[in-house]
Amino acid sequence: MAAAAPAAAPAAAAAPAPTVPAPQVPRGQVDLVDFVDWSGVECLNQDSSHTVVNALKQGYRDDEGLYLASDSDEQLLIYIPFMQVVKLHSALFKGPEEEGPKTIKLFSNKEHMGFSNVSDYPPSDSLNLSSNHLVENKLVQLKYVKFQNVRSLTIFVDNNQSGSDVSKIQKIALYGTTVDTTNMKDLKKIEEH
Amino acid sequence: MVLEATMICIDNSEWMRNGDYAPSRFQAQADAVNLICGAKTQSNPENTVGVMTMAGKGVRVLVTPTSDLGKILACMHGLEVGAEANLSAAIQVAQLALKHRQNKRQQQRIIAFIGSPVKYDKKVLETIGKKLKKNNVSLDIVDFGETDDEKPEKLEALVAAVNSSDSSHIVHVPPGENALSDVLISTPIFTGEEGGSGFAASAAAAAATGAAGFEFDVDPNVDPELALALRLSMEEERARQEAIAKKAAEESSGAENKDHASSSNTDSVMAEAEPASNATADDKKDQPKDDDDAHLLQQALAMSMEEGSSGAAAVADAAMAEAAVDDQDLALALQMSVQDASMSSQSDMSKVFEDRSFVTSILNSLPGVDPNDPSVKDLLASLHGQGEQEKKEDQDKPEDEKK
Repeated sequence: MAAAAPAAAPAAAAAPAPTVPAPQVPRGQVDLVDFVDWSGVECLNQDSSHTVVNALKQGYRDDEGLYLASDSDEQLLIYIPFMQVVKLHSALFKGPEEEGPKTIKLFSNKEHMGFSNVSDYPPSDSLNLSSNHLVENKLVQLKYVKFQNVRSLTIFVDNNQSGSDVSKIQKIALYGTTVDTTNMKDLKKIEEH
Repeated sequence: MVLEATMICIDNSEWMRNGDYAPSRFQAQADAVNLICGAKTQSNPENTVGVMTMAGKGVRVLVTPTSDLGKILACMHGLEVGAEANLSAAIQVAQLALKHRQNKRQQQRIIAFIGSPVKYDKKVLETIGKKLKKNNVSLDIVDFGETDDEKPEKLEALVAAVNSSDSSHIVHVPPGENALSDVLISTPIFTGEEGGSGFAASAAAAAATGAAGFEFDVDPNVDPELALALRLSMEEERARQEAIAKKAAEESSGAENKDHASSSNTDSVMAEAEPASNATADDKKDQPKDDDDAHLLQQALAMSMEEGSSGAAAVADAAMAEAAVDDQDLALALQMSVQDASMSSQSDMSKVFEDRSFVTSILNSLPGVDPNDPSVKDLLASLHGQGEQEKKEDQDKPEDEKK
């Protein structure tokens, strides 16, 4: 089993202090953006000019100017289905210091949730981000055992760092492995990058 | 063609007894609801519509979202009018009903008919609206019935709070002659974003008497053959009218001079049956007539024939036969005046024309002439009258001559 070491290994982050260290893909893990089923991605309470695509898609998420913003209030409910069953290992959230997310609840395999039933089930995992996480590209470890068989992931952003009315997220990256087509040789290649 | 689940909130409060919308506010509302259900299910067969009441016995869901139109229409029966409408509770219940829709792919929409006064603040309404927007529910409001000073603004604020990218609308319907449903047909509530407009347009043509821009009230999309048939018959009628007008003009100008009149008659008859006249002329030339008189007669007939006759070869033949009999008279007539030649031959023709049934049968065989056509009938009548007149004159003249 690919028991990966946490990614924020200082040795690997070779960038000098002022610039933000590039996120290191954890050993044995893959960036799951390739396995996202884009036709089913939904986000409740998003601002129509700042949609979830800005935070998830390759290229968009690396652009500093493009971000996901909430609309009526500061909560966001993001639904991400995958094209195949995956295991989630860790996640990365990037956002502005003030409006970036603080409390995040993750639900695995719960379809079509609404804001009214976020409190109905216990989350698969619950994260409490600090501004470090948002700014320094620090990966957050997830409870791996809870995310062994993930078909879809629901991310509920409860509030943001400063408590403002609008939450903003610049990037969401998920790392893990696929269940069916895990190829150890491929993993090795990625690690070398 | 948006895939949608819709909840329609009906206002059946006491204010709906009022009759300022015919026949009563409640009835007008019911008609509008029926129309909307039809429109939604037609624009996409997978759409579902549900109905609930805001007043009466309380906020109740009458029909959960379904695509069965019959159920929806049936539930509108026997609804009681009374009590006060509870808008916020109704919207919450509608939201809940939509949340538990069977097909989660459907967009959520609430259509609320608000006829009673709105007792909530703007702030409360705005929070309701925000909550709807947060849950991605669109809201359409039909503002009719009671008009407070503030009701329109309050409802506008509510829709503004819900609206995201123009998916929510509000329509204010003042009381008046137009039925509530007719006014609604042209609004975006009916027509949707763009996709529903096909149905809406045809519904407008069908339902509203002042049809929206379709010729003959038939939508070419719905019934192309009928539309085409109507258009063709319209054009034919127009052509006929023009022909009649032309004849009338000719006849009126020709009335001064009988010769001209007769020739104009023949001309107008010619107008009806030109191709046949050529045939008759040919036929005529083939007829062997050796007598001088007969020859003269023949010439006269030929002239008149070429000017125009009713044109059937049979008619010409018949005329010829009769001409042989009345040779002498005709010859005299001919001698009288060359100008009268056409007239005399016309008398022959008139005799033939007297036999109306014969003429009708002749005309039937002619291409392009409809014996039932009023213009042809008028023409025959006038010919008949003229023929009699001419006949009298002819008879007078030959008699004079004989004397």
